[in-house]
Amino acid sequence: MFISKLKQVLICLKAGRVTLPYPYEPSPPPEGFRGKLKVDIDRCTGCAGCANVCPPGAIEVTDIGKDWRRIQFNLTNCISCGRCEEVCPEKAVKLTDKFELSTNTKEDLTVTIEIYMDTCQRCARCFKPEHPLDKMMVTGFRQ
Amino acid sequence: MLTAREITETLKTKFDKQIIKAEEKVSNQLFVRVAPDALIPVICFLNKTFSPRFLVNAATDVVQQSGKYVVSYMFSFDREKIFLCIQVAIDAAKPDIDSITPIIAGANWSERETRDLVGINPRNHPDPRRLVLADDWPEGVYPLRKDFPYNYKPPSEPQNKVPLKKPPEGTRVIPIGPFYPVLEEPAYFKLFVDGETIVDCDYRGFYSHRGIEKIGDSKLTYNQICFMAERICGICGFIHSTCYCEAVERAAGIEVPLRAHYIRTIMLELERIHSHLLWLGIAVHIIGFDTLLMQSWRIREPVMWLCEKISGNRKTYGMNLIGGVRRDIPSGIYDEIIRVIEKIERETTEVIDAVMGDTSLHVRLKNVGILTEEVARDICTVGPTARGSNIHIDSRVDHPYAAYDLVDFEVAVETGCDIWARTLVRLRETIEAIKIIKQCLLEMPDGPIMGEVMEEIPSGREAICCVEAPRGEAIHYVQTGEDNRPYRWKVRAPTYANLQCAPYIIKGGQIADVPIIIGSLDPCYSCTERMAVVDVRTGVEKIYTKEEIIKR
Repeated sequence: MFISKLKQVLICLKAGRVTLPYPYEPSPPPEGFRGKLKVDIDRCTGCAGCANVCPPGAIEVTDIGKDWRRIQFNLTNCISCGRCEEVCPEKAVKLTDKFELSTNTKEDLTVTIEIYMDTCQRCARCFKPEHPLDKMMVTGFRQ
Repeated sequence: MLTAREITETLKTKFDKQIIKAEEKVSNQLFVRVAPDALIPVICFLNKTFSPRFLVNAATDVVQQSGKYVVSYMFSFDREKIFLCIQVAIDAAKPDIDSITPIIAGANWSERETRDLVGINPRNHPDPRRLVLADDWPEGVYPLRKDFPYNYKPPSEPQNKVPLKKPPEGTRVIPIGPFYPVLEEPAYFKLFVDGETIVDCDYRGFYSHRGIEKIGDSKLTYNQICFMAERICGICGFIHSTCYCEAVERAAGIEVPLRAHYIRTIMLELERIHSHLLWLGIAVHIIGFDTLLMQSWRIREPVMWLCEKISGNRKTYGMNLIGGVRRDIPSGIYDEIIRVIEKIERETTEVIDAVMGDTSLHVRLKNVGILTEEVARDICTVGPTARGSNIHIDSRVDHPYAAYDLVDFEVAVETGCDIWARTLVRLRETIEAIKIIKQCLLEMPDGPIMGEVMEEIPSGREAICCVEAPRGEAIHYVQTGEDNRPYRWKVRAPTYANLQCAPYIIKGGQIADVPIIIGSLDPCYSCTERMAVVDVRTGVEKIYTKEEIIKR
């Protein structure tokens, strides 16, 4: 019993202090960390592939009018799995290494983008043009 | 050795026409369709001749297709590496079936669950109380039926109360819960005590249902469920996503590249190391030995950092998809993995060496919470709980998945039957896990990490998969369906099997020992309680507070 306790004391003393000084000092996560996502609006074509694969359904797609599509990323629901990053054909979604997400306002965790799309001549809903250049040919694009 | 064909032959010669169909749908997985009135004779016969281990039962609603409910009773032939699934189709108009609990005690909860969720009434069940659904859930509303929308909220019926057992004469009642004080999780134990000795107990749990199975059946697609499955448990999530993926891959016949199998094995074993060290910390914390809690969690932390480096997150790795894994383990990190796990091995051995001679530990853990081999078999316990009672089962060996058939390791089995034995099993497993990871890193071949997955997984197939979680064996049963989503996804977490033996091991013990006895099962309530739709949960809690206020 006594020897056992002595050994335990030695283990504790040897370990010393192991806690990190975070949050007084920053503690950067390793490379490849899956943190808060970032959307590059210039690259997004509004294909909504990310919304289709998102496991918690944190990405909402709504067509507002016949040629504007709104994509809303609700980061309050985001589980940082990175599926959107994986499937995005334009590499518009990226996961950053930001992990300090606590906030008082919900808007801080909502990213909304609105994209000008083509209008289908038959159903009058918006859709993704076949070629990125086609988009520029449509009247109203530079509105 | 017994093969699936021989089992079919034996059953067919004995029961002739009552065996409607027998098919080996996936290699080593035998699905036998039996006439409803032959169920009990078949299970009695199986029990006598082969004594397979009961896993779980699952009911599927196929009323739209054939006007019936199909109840599947899954069994495992451990040495022969075979799954046997006895299926019975019963009429939707009269969903009654004979209970098998009088024959197999371990089927108790799972039959009650089938009754609660699908409405299959087990006749002659010894304890037919409500198990899974909330107290105020209306009678006759069955959430896992296909005509029940996943987002439907039935009206609350507060007058419904699940009756708890009456205390035996001459005893007093001591309640523990509904917030289990030591593990900070919701469970309610009602102890009947005579002085300090516990005579009997009753359990009411399932306070944290999340309706995962229902969402999996009705809303999510195959690849979305991988992430959902990972969130079943907060400690051993990766086993659930692996188990689910393997079940789908087996059902659909998807080839997974060898490298992906190895990566899964490495992640599973890393998870086992940190889970066992976590358990060690909590267990000794329960008995007031906080020095060891601090030290074992200190040793554990580098594993979490390592996982963060490999997968991008400390705990929910998000690595699994149907067909393989999403992230490769770069060869540059091999050295670091070896360095970290060798340090853990060294430090764990040091700590084990230091505490083994600690007599205060012996007093608290030896000859306490005895789970005899007989009871352990009856209740169908799994994992370290069973292995501490001299039962040689380990699904890594019995039903190999990932790359476990390619690595060598020893299954830790102890004969003590007490908490000490369960502790030893877990400590030995930690050391074995380190060996497995080292082997994997040495033998891991290069190559792709994602196999070819068909655009749409064909419907009407089914498969079972078992994965050895740190707490025991997790079982996922998947039946594929239309629209690229499963028709039925059934999960059985290890604690579901283990917690059923709690009344047996508490009985005869002292009140002071109850926390550590229950803690020694390494219970994970969130795992166990993953099913049934309980959107009314907040409502229930409100009612409780109101009552409390009135009482005050």
